[in-house]
Amino acid sequence: MSAENRVEVGPAAEFEDGDAELVQVGRVEVGVIKANGEFHALRNQCPHDGGPVCKGEVEPRLVGEWGGSGERVEQHYDDDQQIISCPWHGWSFDVETGEHIGDDRYAIPKYDVVVEDGTVYVKGE
Amino acid sequence: MIDPADHLVVDCDWHYADTFTQVAPYMPEPWKTKFPKSGFGDTGVRQNLSAFFPASTGNRFNYGKIEREFSEYPDGGDTKADVLEGMDHLDIDKTLQISHLILAMGGISADDRRVEAFVKGYIEYMLEEVLDPDEGIYGLAPMPYHDIDASMDILDRVEDEEAFVGVVMVTAGASPPLGNRKYDPIYERCEEMDYPVVYHTGGSGLDDYVRAGYQDMIETHTLGFLEANMSQIVSVACQGVPEKFPDLDIVFMESGVTYIPGLVCRINEEYLKRSEEAPLLEKKPGDYITDFYFGTQPLEVSARPDLLEICFDMVGTENLLYASDYPHWDFDSPSIITDLPMLDDEDRKNILGRNAVEAFGL
Ligand code: FES
Repeated sequence: MSAENRVEVGPAAEFEDGDAELVQVGRVEVGVIKANGEFHALRNQCPHDGGPVCKGEVEPRLVGEWGGSGERVEQHYDDDQQIISCPWHGWSFDVETGEHIGDDRYAIPKYDVVVEDGTVYVKGE
Repeated sequence: MIDPADHLVVDCDWHYADTFTQVAPYMPEPWKTKFPKSGFGDTGVRQNLSAFFPASTGNRFNYGKIEREFSEYPDGGDTKADVLEGMDHLDIDKTLQISHLILAMGGISADDRRVEAFVKGYIEYMLEEVLDPDEGIYGLAPMPYHDIDASMDILDRVEDEEAFVGVVMVTAGASPPLGNRKYDPIYERCEEMDYPVVYHTGGSGLDDYVRAGYQDMIETHTLGFLEANMSQIVSVACQGVPEKFPDLDIVFMESGVTYIPGLVCRINEEYLKRSEEAPLLEKKPGDYITDFYFGTQPLEVSARPDLLEICFDMVGTENLLYASDYPHWDFDSPSIITDLPMLDDEDRKNILGRNAVEAFGL
């Protein structure tokens, strides 16, 4: 990541897990999200109807496990999969890949993020 | 254009016009004794759905406009000879018999023994007097799904009978809907037995449709049948039946095909917004639905041909099964398929017979 086209987001220490910070990167707004200690950057534009997806809630994905015939499907949150849900209609995306959790043909563009000397940067286009 | 007479035609939805008089001697006690003694015939109760199961207010005779040459449905009661005569009339080689009377079972919620008693009697009667694989007459065993143990008994009974090739679940009135885990044992066993599950829309009393209080047959037949099937499709898909039982063949019967694209579009939209509520799904619910088989009857040929083309496209001609629904008043003869301009002859042959051979292992 060359220093020229990167955008400074702020001190890494100021991010709690689940926080998202919006920055302008070229012509688009990007959300820098901290989830499970990792930083991810996604365009703040929902593929559904353009909603501010990065303003949505970050949480582990709810998954179901079926124990066998006649058993209830047991549901639990899988901490390894963090999702962000668009506040407009609830489309949910994997924070790491940007893909919709129900249909991977829908994906939010991703951006590279780097932490250097305690500061978070996003790579521009 | 092909002539059905020259090709294999499998009818996946023939309604065997059984009567209570025919089936009662085969029912377990006390029904075997109690029911024929009840005087249902003398009291003016007709030999149709209402004699044992709740009444249907729709007049299926359409005010005398329909005359039946090959069957005195619904009061006469078919015999094996009637079935053979009808098959000959429609150029049908093989047919899957579905009990006409069982369509009312969804109306029973308390006394589920009635359903079990009827089904047990029906199966013995059909095996003894009607079904005959050598003549192409096969049966679908009704599932008394209110009672899982009874359903298991039925599956044990028919397992080694070549004449039965699948089960029927009546969609109207099933509560909870048929995606509920309660029914898993039935699906599991059917998958094991290689028995497709045919969901058949229902003719329970009109007040037992999804919406109560319709007044005429035209209303229930347009909407009630449709709602009954759609409600089960949604439940079966969202609760992950096809994920739990991936080798189970799922067939939806008797609501035509034009509702499918609308339902698929709608359920997929919901899924994108609420995917986590269907955690067993590996793909969109509509993708499972378009993997189901669908009986074609009553095919909405009067709809815009381009719409019908989209429907066939979405479901795939390999998933469509010709069904006559004979001798019901609105039956479709095989020409409904052979006359469709957007199909090629291979598609026509597949829909008329080959797909069913594949699905039901005939
Ligand atoms: S705009 Fe994001 S869910 Fe609709």
